[in-house]
Amino acid sequence: MNDCRIQIDGREAEVPAGQTVLAAARQLGLDIPTLCHLEKCGPLTTCLVCLVKIDGRLVPSCGTKATPGMVVESETEEVHAARRTALELLFSDHVGDCLSPCNLLCPLHLNIPVMIRQIESGDYEEATITVRQALPLAAVLGRLCNHPCEKGCRRGANDDPAAIRELERFVADQDLAHPTPHLQLRASPSGRSVAIVGAGPTGLAAAYFLVRQGHAVELLDRHHEAGGTLRHLAESALPRAVLTAELDLLTRLGVRFKEAVVLGHTHQLAELSGRYDAVVLAIGELAEDEKEKLGVPLAPTGIKADPNTCLTGLPGVFAAGAAVKPVKHLVRAMAEGKAVAECVGLFLRGAAVRRTDKPFSSIMGRLDPGELRLFLQHGNERTRVDPCSACAAGLKRVDAEGEASRCLHCDCRSSGNCVLQHYAQTYGANADRFRSKRRPFEQQMQPGGVIFEPGKCILCGICVKLTELAREPLGLTFIGRGFDVRLGAPLNRTIADGLQKIAAEAVHHCPTGALCFDEKAAAQHVSSSP
Amino acid sequence: MPDFDPKFVEQTVARIGRSPEALIPILQRLQDQFGFLPAEALEQVCALTDIRPAEVTGVSTFYDMFRHAPVGKHVVRVCVGTACHVAGTDKIADALRRHLHIPPGEDTDAEREFTIESVACLGCCTLAPVVKIDGATIGHATAERVPEIIRDFLAGQNRPATNESTEELSAVGANAGGASATIHVGLGSCCMAKGSDQLFHALRASAARSGAQVNVKRVGCVGMCHRTPMIEVARPGAANRFYADLTPAHAGALLQAHFRPRGLLGRASSLWQRALDGLLVDTEPPAEQVARAEMKVRDSGVQAFLDRQVHIATEHFGRIDPLDLDEYVAHDGFAALRHALADLKPEEIVSVVEQSGLRGRGGAGFPTGQKWRVMHGQPGPDKFVICNGDEGDPGAFMDRMILESFPFRVLEGMAIAALATGAHAGIFYIRHEYPLAVRRVRAAIATLERRGWLGDRLLGANHPFRVSIMEGAGAFICGEETALIESIEGRRGMPRLRPPFPAVSGLWQKPTLINNVETFALVPWILRHGSERFAAIGTAKSKGTKVFALAGHVVRGGLIEIPMGTTIREIVEEIGGGVRPGRRFKAVQIGGPSGGCVPARLADTPVDFESLREVGAIMGSGGLVVLDDTTCMVDVARYFLQFSEAQSCGKCTFCRVGTKRMLDLLDRLCTGQAHRSHLDELKRLAQQVGAGSLCGLGKTAPNPVLTTLRYFHDEYEAHLQGRCPAGKCTALIKYRITADCTGCTLCAQQCPVNAIPLTPYARHHIDLDICTRCDTCRKVCPYNAVEVR
Repeated sequence: MNDCRIQIDGREAEVPAGQTVLAAARQLGLDIPTLCHLEKCGPLTTCLVCLVKIDGRLVPSCGTKATPGMVVESETEEVHAARRTALELLFSDHVGDCLSPCNLLCPLHLNIPVMIRQIESGDYEEATITVRQALPLAAVLGRLCNHPCEKGCRRGANDDPAAIRELERFVADQDLAHPTPHLQLRASPSGRSVAIVGAGPTGLAAAYFLVRQGHAVELLDRHHEAGGTLRHLAESALPRAVLTAELDLLTRLGVRFKEAVVLGHTHQLAELSGRYDAVVLAIGELAEDEKEKLGVPLAPTGIKADPNTCLTGLPGVFAAGAAVKPVKHLVRAMAEGKAVAECVGLFLRGAAVRRTDKPFSSIMGRLDPGELRLFLQHGNERTRVDPCSACAAGLKRVDAEGEASRCLHCDCRSSGNCVLQHYAQTYGANADRFRSKRRPFEQQMQPGGVIFEPGKCILCGICVKLTELAREPLGLTFIGRGFDVRLGAPLNRTIADGLQKIAAEAVHHCPTGALCFDEKAAAQHVSSSP
Repeated sequence: MPDFDPKFVEQTVARIGRSPEALIPILQRLQDQFGFLPAEALEQVCALTDIRPAEVTGVSTFYDMFRHAPVGKHVVRVCVGTACHVAGTDKIADALRRHLHIPPGEDTDAEREFTIESVACLGCCTLAPVVKIDGATIGHATAERVPEIIRDFLAGQNRPATNESTEELSAVGANAGGASATIHVGLGSCCMAKGSDQLFHALRASAARSGAQVNVKRVGCVGMCHRTPMIEVARPGAANRFYADLTPAHAGALLQAHFRPRGLLGRASSLWQRALDGLLVDTEPPAEQVARAEMKVRDSGVQAFLDRQVHIATEHFGRIDPLDLDEYVAHDGFAALRHALADLKPEEIVSVVEQSGLRGRGGAGFPTGQKWRVMHGQPGPDKFVICNGDEGDPGAFMDRMILESFPFRVLEGMAIAALATGAHAGIFYIRHEYPLAVRRVRAAIATLERRGWLGDRLLGANHPFRVSIMEGAGAFICGEETALIESIEGRRGMPRLRPPFPAVSGLWQKPTLINNVETFALVPWILRHGSERFAAIGTAKSKGTKVFALAGHVVRGGLIEIPMGTTIREIVEEIGGGVRPGRRFKAVQIGGPSGGCVPARLADTPVDFESLREVGAIMGSGGLVVLDDTTCMVDVARYFLQFSEAQSCGKCTFCRVGTKRMLDLLDRLCTGQAHRSHLDELKRLAQQVGAGSLCGLGKTAPNPVLTTLRYFHDEYEAHLQGRCPAGKCTALIKYRITADCTGCTLCAQQCPVNAIPLTPYARHHIDLDICTRCDTCRKVCPYNAVEVR
């Protein structure tokens, strides 16, 4: 067949005749989002997030064949707005949380349920990676954090929330007890340098995230030791040895500490700006008498910094933490350090500087008792571990695993693999744009380990088509019409009945968390099979 | 209803077939038999056929007509079409539920006597509001009349079935052979809903008894639905006379007035009959009533109604028997097909249609000739011609009327299309809500087959053409051609992405020509009179005529056929006689849920494809609902969106979820819970649903919202402030009894929810917490003492 030349956003693409616009766009490296597209199913044209504009009309690129001379618009504001609306409409009828409430409430967005499941299965190394990925000075936070996460824990609506902070500490302590505690990966050297003035919680957190991006990071502080306010705590609250061990990890990652630097006194800002590619001011609450000497514009609460970029207005100079405005909690101060690190990272790459968006999540809100019961079946009935027996020595292994088993797994099993979630994040979708009364959350546990959550089904039709192609004896089908269409098995049977042959394939290709495997049941299934 | 019987399922499958396309007909048969689809029956269908269980469940839950729970002894269908909606059908549904003790959230009463269902449109818009109980259609229903309607219906149940079906009469139908005088009785389904079939039988019986030399003849729709039952008396040497608003009791007097009985015996029995008739009518002798019912054709109303019309699709309307083939032939029937067979090559037929400028009458106005040409150019012998009779627009009944009144004409048009495009199979897809249309088309096909004009040799020539009928199962979306194809293939009616267009790859992936009923009905005339004659009618780009169903707040509702380019004002004011006295003409809704509302100030807009599109409406299939100042335009927008949302197939995101979210926003507006941001979001979303949806339904669903936003923005603003200027949105209005109240207690007696305490001789008060805003008190108050705010 002859090839066919088309133009997408002004670029030429050449595809064999009969190919779709989507295939042509992908050939050019364009990431047109798709949810219902699976080659073997043919164009299902249900989700309509792959819209492109041809001849003044929006059409689904997955089902539109390229014809010679076709002119396609793909990455334009109008097309993006339409794709975003399609995603937002899907979320307006999407029942489920992508991320657990604890995860969302954590200012550092630690993936708590994942950590908990790793603890539960005794996989401490993995748990350490999960924790250190998100938390600077994990063992310190594991002791001092005010744990906003626990307030959101869905288990709390039934009895008591999971003891999340204790579990965090348990993981970090296990790690520090190791002769060579875990070092997070760092990117190859970028050749860029950053000076962070102030080695308190914000500065340390900024250093932790910047050094992992591959930048040369120097922490400058007026004192001869790093730690800032953390140095003044009682030994019972934070043993000195723990702080030292965590600071050692920073040093091992490559952060260099310089003492006796007092901005406006020993060193001038202009001098630092000239020497480093970027400067972060994380000097904590400003002393009245030193304010004016800093050489940066001020605001009533501290250093003047744009809340969206952390930039002070001086080129390459950022400010964060209590130096900008009062910060009450340690974890908040560290989250500010993380935010400024991300802004600096963008600045050093020459990209537009903007604080990173919150992770995207569909949010269900309050559960009614019936819905909570569905989640409770995933948690052990035991009571919360007694924090007092834990406070001094930390949790014992058996207690930690027991406490971990109380988690209800209220995060989506597909989070991280979910195509819908991925594109919602990429397109900056607002899951709440079309706020309306939500349907009840449903979860159907199937024999064989498949979990079906109807509220997460976007009716893409992939599984329906797959069962048809595989000649499943029953298969799956759409039931009803219009807004009330639901996915189901025919003749009032169960999803498992409909998926006798291709359950794994259907789960694998489900673009959301509507069809998932229950990890526990799946593990049992594997261990019980010869 | 008979209990589930596995034997019946076996027999049905054996008769209809085992392949996927048999599914919908099988389910229809089972539903007819059992009143619903028992789970065991569906299991059995899966076991007995090659149809996948997924299809059985998918299809049986897609179409409105299929039920999965048993029905009561009687089924009450409340029409929620546009004309019925603006006439207050929701209040009737409420009243029916209350009267029949049907609990909220359910559809059947505890004793399983009555099941209530809403139906998208019964196509009897001029009788709005319409309720159908089992087979009986009741027009002009009101909430207050509900008890009486049910009582009459139940009383009728006990009466032995007397009315012989008009369909079982021989097509020739003459009951006085050789009679030179004829009485034409309009027997469309609207006419019949108003009792014209009883009148027909009464006339025949009277004529037989009296021996009058008159042929009482069934004809199709007479157009003037607002005056039915209507007859026309034609006698040689005398002017034709029309009678309107007749009842069966008038039959004897009518015949007496026009035809002398033959012989003494006849006279005696006719005298006896007259006496009887006199007894039946208690107020005045029927003869006097007959005189008053007579309409003079020069009567300005009738004149105005008919004057502007040009009858092409409805040629010979009100004159010919729908099923009398000889009569059709005598009126040039099949001359066009004969001409096409004898004198024209297929591409010449296509050229004639092209040159006529004919555009599809189904809504979008695609050039018919162009469609035919594409289809003509497709290779292979397997091609299909489909007549799209899935007229689903609420407020439209043109296609029903054409199918009921002119089945031969539509068949002739289809046959010409088949000849031009090389197709050998034709399929009618007709809504199941149109049983009379289905029966008549079926009878017409049988007549032609018997005569050897359909089947192996079309009109005896060497071109096989077989025609079958597929009944829809209640899904508006199946009017969309790709969804219609899916439905014929036995699947859920979910549209396919076009291209490929059906003319290239349609039914069973074969080239398929799909035209609307009215389009086919125009073709024979075009071939007989030539493309120039047709193109001479209408405007530059919209040729010929268009049939409209004129309904709503208009004095003379009915079925009209007018030249393209006639203005909205001419239709509403001259043909329709304007709105009721004392009311103000506000807007017309053209094109149903895909169309828009054109305000009165744009009434000089000519009705043609381009002009209507310019003002934001579309031609649509031909529903034209007139709205007066009692109409709330936000409510109208909400009504249509509710329709589109309910009829969305659910396939694509924009339509499935987008229309729902638009409806949420309109619900907020109509209940006073909307902020400005909601109004802005409504505008934005309407644009995006229109731009992003996959098929025509979703693409056009926002039109009623967009046009009302454009022309009636002030009403949206008022709703933002919690006011409904027309007093329609029940959440925003309050009823109050004024000082004019005399304490007559009528309102308190009639209030269906006892919201008005009975206080004789004292001013009454309404408990607004109980009041459902059903409007009964205002209607019954003899002193106009109930006000709405």
